[in-house]
Amino acid sequence: MSSTSAPLSAPLAARAGRAGRLAGSPTLAFIVRRLLAAIPVLFGVTFLSFVVMNSLPGDAAQELLGAQATPAEIHQLEIKLGLDKPFLTRYWDWLHQAVIGHLGHSLSSGQSVASILGSDLPVTFELVGFAFLVSLALAVPLALVSARKPNGVADRLSMMFSMAGLSIAPYVLALVLVYVFAVKLNVLPALGWVPPGQSLGQNIRYLILPAVSIGLGLLCFYTRLLRADLLEQMQGEDYVVTARAKGVRPWRVLTRHALRNSLFGLITVVALNLGTLLGFTVVIEDIFGIPGIGHELLQAIDNRDIPVIEGIVFVFAVIVVLLNLAADVLYSVLDPRIRYGRPTE
Amino acid sequence: MADLPSDLVVAGVAPAADEAAVARAGGWWRGRLGVTVPAVMVALIFGLCFIWPIIGPVPPPTGGNILNASLPAFSPGHFLGTDPVGNDEWSRILYGGRASLEIALAVQAIGIVLGGLIGAIAGYLGGWRDATIMRVLDVFIAFPGLVLAVAIAQGLGPSELHTIWALSFFSVPASARISRAATLQLREQTFMTAARLSGTSFPRMVIGHIAPNIVPQLLTYALLGMGIIMILEGALSFVGLGVPPPAPSWGNMIAQGQSTISADPRYVFLPSAALFITVVSFNLLGEGLRARWGTQ
Repeated sequence: MSSTSAPLSAPLAARAGRAGRLAGSPTLAFIVRRLLAAIPVLFGVTFLSFVVMNSLPGDAAQELLGAQATPAEIHQLEIKLGLDKPFLTRYWDWLHQAVIGHLGHSLSSGQSVASILGSDLPVTFELVGFAFLVSLALAVPLALVSARKPNGVADRLSMMFSMAGLSIAPYVLALVLVYVFAVKLNVLPALGWVPPGQSLGQNIRYLILPAVSIGLGLLCFYTRLLRADLLEQMQGEDYVVTARAKGVRPWRVLTRHALRNSLFGLITVVALNLGTLLGFTVVIEDIFGIPGIGHELLQAIDNRDIPVIEGIVFVFAVIVVLLNLAADVLYSVLDPRIRYGRPTE
Repeated sequence: MADLPSDLVVAGVAPAADEAAVARAGGWWRGRLGVTVPAVMVALIFGLCFIWPIIGPVPPPTGGNILNASLPAFSPGHFLGTDPVGNDEWSRILYGGRASLEIALAVQAIGIVLGGLIGAIAGYLGGWRDATIMRVLDVFIAFPGLVLAVAIAQGLGPSELHTIWALSFFSVPASARISRAATLQLREQTFMTAARLSGTSFPRMVIGHIAPNIVPQLLTYALLGMGIIMILEGALSFVGLGVPPPAPSWGNMIAQGQSTISADPRYVFLPSAALFITVVSFNLLGEGLRARWGTQ
């Protein structure tokens, strides 16, 4: 097909030449297909949260005015906030604006939802990112030491530790840490947050306890996952047999050959897991009084502040969908044995 | 790792030590003990929470006398002391465990039955019906479960039953994905083709041929998920939902104890320890069963 036959149609034009291979690649087709499939999911998520919030007793006008307000006052405010319009009209109005990137204003504070997200998301991302990176950095050596000698002393200890760590609830860990480090030893703050722009040292001091509360579970989860996969690689894979036959030392096979393959798998699993993790920060933010997105969400639910809730739910859902997609794409890119878009044998 | 079902990750369950690792594992833990020890622990916990309060000398968990408030541990008649309003702490732990276990069991049962059925149907039918069902489940997985849980609890009022509904939104999609993955593997088996060719009806295929084959897998994941559901129940209590006080659950006891942690940390530590021991027992049992069934 010649590229001149459809000059206005980008996909067709792209078929020509070198780009042709890219456009025709099953991976790209897969990404496009998954992105298209994500649209109904995002639509469903925002619609569902609209339905859920509207089915709650009370609305934003009532919450704003308090218990003493007369029905007439409430009705007036409802008209002002646009809450008197029919349900579907309001959802349509919101969707219509959201598609062009305008997430509206908070019903209770009047602040724009985008600015609320802009100030809260970085806090949550810093917390989660810190916990995630540290736990990943610790999980790799732990898993390697475990896998080096399965059932050795180090392996047994690390498996016991990770089983215990997986079984402790994040909020229990948070309270234990607060008791030990804030109440008894008085070395770390129990409550509050200092933005990194203000003082990086203080920021990290305030970050440690909440990040450990979230991170320990992750560390244990990643360690077990990586160890199991490393062992699987070391047992059966041909390239391991080849490397061993060549005379490569076992430790080197483990760290150079098996670890690389296992890390690919871990990264994809981690991507899937981050979405769930964002949800779990809500309780931790609540305990430590951190002004993150989870904290904002709880407040918005209390205030029946639908635009804020919609904005947060939308952003969460986009993140989860994109991470899932990234994980699937990583599989296909990193592991040539998996090809999407072709009938599987 | 490529074939690791992503639901595992969604549910936050630890992956199994794979079969190869298990095969190399020392015999003592892999053998009977790996299942028996945690099974006995789980049985003991159930016995303590459900049977002991009926037959033993356990005072009621609520309505205590304020004159007995905050008694220390090992006080006469109060083995673990009393809470700040005079209820027996040991009794609250037992009854609280009852609530937490009931919730987790109910949520996982709903997950297995409903999620298992949805996943089996989707996996068996395949094609656009499979895609549609899975997209709908994606909505629930992408949806911050907390919003739903909070909404359910606020809309219906916090109660044990409503906590179960709310948490089922976590277990149903997770079970459905596991059951779908297992069904997809089954679909190509010879006995499935044979059954199809001999004109077996659709409900019979699902109930009679698919279900018996995927139930062990679902049960194992459900056991591993018990701990997570119990942890989530506590999380709901932290945001003011979940089982409403004064009725005890481990989650709401920990959440309540938070306010007195510097003065008397045992109100946090005792229910936390109970929760921890129970979750460890379920996790070990799940791992043990998976190792055993995995090596078949």
